[in-house]
Amino acid sequence: MPDTLTPERAAERLRELSADVRTAVLLDAAGSLTSATEAERERAEKLADLARSLFEEVDRATRDWETDPPQQVEVQVPGGGVFASRTSRWTLAAVAKRGALSSLMLYDLHAVLEELEGGPLIRRSAAVEERAAGPATEERAAEELPMPELGG
Amino acid sequence: MKEKRKGPLSRAAGIAEGVAATVRRLQREREPRVLVYDPSGYARLIQPEARGHERIMSLAEDMLAEVAGRE
Repeated sequence: MPDTLTPERAAERLRELSADVRTAVLLDAAGSLTSATEAERERAEKLADLARSLFEEVDRATRDWETDPPQQVEVQVPGGGVFASRTSRWTLAAVAKRGALSSLMLYDLHAVLEELEGGPLIRRSAAVEERAAGPATEERAAEELPMPELGG
Repeated sequence: MKEKRKGPLSRAAGIAEGVAATVRRLQREREPRVLVYDPSGYARLIQPEARGHERIMSLAEDMLAEVAGRE
């Protein structure tokens, strides 16, 4: 795995982190498609258009609120959920499986964007990395953390 | 403070309550809704009757339909 996450890999990176992601797209500040998990360009462009419109509508709906502009959006619809997160430079949107945990999805979106912005890389815990070289045992498997953790 | 349960029947009832609460929470999570989060993680619901709610739901459904079309 490369040390620095590139925009071209960001959508795929999200799917690596979360098994609940069915598809993901990354848009730049201008709203243009930068990367997608979709192999078909036309479908990826359509999803990018929809993701851009989603945040436009959210901004319209919340413009009178006396709060900061929303950073993340969660839309639950029959059959699944749509999650999106943005920074000043990037917007990352994902379609998730039905029953995906919102908190985990939002965390993963945020983590990938942070990684993209040069924040801490997400990696396995040091303990797991150290043990990877040795033989696998049931005791070791039981000690492994189910969640990745942030590391510098 | 939660009362400590005594006896096997009482403990079984406690487990059943826990399972029921989890199922209710998962059902609530899957209900159609639009939630927005500010940078501090504070969540607010866009009410179904609010301006733009219907359009946001429609866009999300279109995104799901795009994926379903491929799958």
